[in-house]
Amino acid sequence: MLQQKRSVFLTLALVLMLAAVLSACSKSNTASPEASAPSGNAGSKEKITLRMTVWGSPEEVAPYKKAIQNFEAKYTNVKVELQHIAADYDTKLTTMVAGNDVPDIAMMESGTIAFPMAEQGKFYNLQEFLDTDADISPDTLVPNITYSLEPGNVIGIGPGPESFGLFYNEDIFKEAGIEPPPSNVADAWTWDEFVEVAKKLTVDTNDKTAADPDFDPKKIKQYGVNLSTWWGVYSNFIYSNGGDFISADGKTFALNQPEAVEALQKIADLMNVHHVSPSPVQSKNIPATNVALQTKKVAMTVDGQWASAGLAQSKFNFNVGVMPVMKEPVTTVVCGMFSIFKSTKHPQETWELLKALLDPEASIDMLTAGTWMPSPKDWYTDPALLAKWTENLEARPSGYKEAIVDVILTKGHQTPTGYVKNFNNIMDLVNPALDKVWLGQQTAQEAMDSIAVKAQAQIKGRRDIKE
Amino acid sequence: MRKGMFYGLLFTAPAILGFAIFTLGPMIASLVLSLTNYNVFKEQTSFAGLDNFVRLFSGEDELFYKSLGITFYFVLLRVPAVILISFGIALLLNLNVKGRAIFRTIIYLPSIVPAVASAMIWMWLLNPDLGLINSLLSRLHLPTSDWLYGEGSVIPSVVLTTLWGIGSTVIIFLAGLSGIPRQYYEAIEVDGGGWFRKLSHVTVPMVTPTIFFNTIMTIIGSFQVFNEAYILTQGGPNNRSLFYVFYLWRTGFRDAEMGYASALAWILFIIILFFTFIVFRTSKSWVYYEGGDRA
Repeated sequence: MLQQKRSVFLTLALVLMLAAVLSACSKSNTASPEASAPSGNAGSKEKITLRMTVWGSPEEVAPYKKAIQNFEAKYTNVKVELQHIAADYDTKLTTMVAGNDVPDIAMMESGTIAFPMAEQGKFYNLQEFLDTDADISPDTLVPNITYSLEPGNVIGIGPGPESFGLFYNEDIFKEAGIEPPPSNVADAWTWDEFVEVAKKLTVDTNDKTAADPDFDPKKIKQYGVNLSTWWGVYSNFIYSNGGDFISADGKTFALNQPEAVEALQKIADLMNVHHVSPSPVQSKNIPATNVALQTKKVAMTVDGQWASAGLAQSKFNFNVGVMPVMKEPVTTVVCGMFSIFKSTKHPQETWELLKALLDPEASIDMLTAGTWMPSPKDWYTDPALLAKWTENLEARPSGYKEAIVDVILTKGHQTPTGYVKNFNNIMDLVNPALDKVWLGQQTAQEAMDSIAVKAQAQIKGRRDIKE
Repeated sequence: MRKGMFYGLLFTAPAILGFAIFTLGPMIASLVLSLTNYNVFKEQTSFAGLDNFVRLFSGEDELFYKSLGITFYFVLLRVPAVILISFGIALLLNLNVKGRAIFRTIIYLPSIVPAVASAMIWMWLLNPDLGLINSLLSRLHLPTSDWLYGEGSVIPSVVLTTLWGIGSTVIIFLAGLSGIPRQYYEAIEVDGGGWFRKLSHVTVPMVTPTIFFNTIMTIIGSFQVFNEAYILTQGGPNNRSLFYVFYLWRTGFRDAEMGYASALAWILFIIILFFTFIVFRTSKSWVYYEGGDRA
């Protein structure tokens, strides 16, 4: 059975390669370098169809459908064909590109194939639209949600920014008589304060806390905090400590520099020295954030704000505060993006569709449920609009406005996938080395130094500076 | 004769066409691609000669050797384990006990479970802290293991999870066993031989063709291990389960380097061909066909 599946898989891979060869022959005809300026034929009434691909759960796809309805009502000559690719999105899209069968607009991920495609000129430069559009411009959007191949070449705009916060179970703090995490960034905990609280909230099966000398780290029933070892999470603290993945001039690997190393080491110490956060091995037992907090397996967790949706459904007293600060308060902003393929025959209409997809009114259900945040800035600054998605909602607890809304506008930092060139290949070296750090087998300095030479060879520069 | 030929071709056409279109064609295509620098997203593809292969063997790509080593280790552990265990189970299932059909069904059942589902089950079972297996071990005061999350234990653990799907190999062994004529055993009984004599003088020699077949299929399947790395470990920890086909997939579908991935695929093809050839060559000395000359 298994073997059959494997050979099916291999065959499939080979078929895809064949398809690629066949299509490569016909490519030269279709890839005429079109004038990259948007053709202003939005007014023409010929019937056209736009194709669009997205991933996501059914709840996430619903707002796209609503946005498409709104769009089709406004542009009656345009029909949008939505293709929902639930699994193996990148593989499927790669195959579509290989087969010269690309959609007009697609949801893309900065960490995977978006930049490799952009580097080969597959996408429109959205800067050209942003420059001339009356409705939106970079200034009307939340910072850090546009992705650029290089300065001035925008390849995608995120429909829903996400930032990170410190989610916690209010009851645990009340029972322990401890002040919960502040939500105002000015009062944010220092790292040491954070560790102290985490110690008091880490409890073993004999009800001893990690602050107690008799504490047994092998029998922990409640962790003070869950800080996952995903780069999305630890990048917050690297930035907060003044570190980075790559130097400011884009020439040097920077994870072995003191600021980054210190942040990584402090996170590893949570697991191996203080025993207040589950190690990667132990974290396999930790359920999703909402369940972990609800069942008191974990008192606090650093997670993306999308966790609000699950927390709201779990019906318990959760709240959110700002993450502890090492030197500067920072949150990494992550999101998917919509990109327009250069092969589209209707760039102007596709751009209008992209704008419709960014409209928070269409995705209001996702905003109130807690999964998403809006992308236009005025939805954060205009009290009436802000109220629509943050007030009197289970997914938006009392700390939300200060800890998430204010922070993303003023302390946001672009995700490393957005500006570090060749990010994946660098991380192919970094991740295995960090495995040893999280398990306490090497210090962060040793691990990062051990791969520094190889990582340096993979450094190809930054996207956010002119070369 | 002519007519027979026509109908023969007609009825085998789906299989032959299927093979030509979905196997042979793509194989040729990937061979061609392996000599190019084809990247899915690039407009220009140029002939690169043996550059991909040079890059692989020059040592520039450490992960190539690493994944190859890991895969060899996996094959070395898994093939004997699969053959011995499935043969043992087949022997037991071949006994004339009550409820034999039920036992046979139970052994085969896991092979029907989708690979992803059984991988999820194993992730829970092998969980170092809460998993059933470690819980049982610690209750019996036996040493526990990090299983899939330990650098040293990850490959043996993956082997363990794949043994779950041993059912089809067992079935083939059972077929081989049930083809052994009873009178051979009776002859040994008459001569006063016991259980072990029967096994070593009749059963094993008579099923050598089945052992031969199963060994080859298991070798091929083991070299192509993918699902486990994809679902269970993602190549971790510290790249210690970076199986060859997983690395190939990552190169082709994440990095879009199809030319290079094709070169990787062809090297695997040649490795598998080589080992299959070796087993075939040695088979002359140990596989016994009742019907005639040795193979």
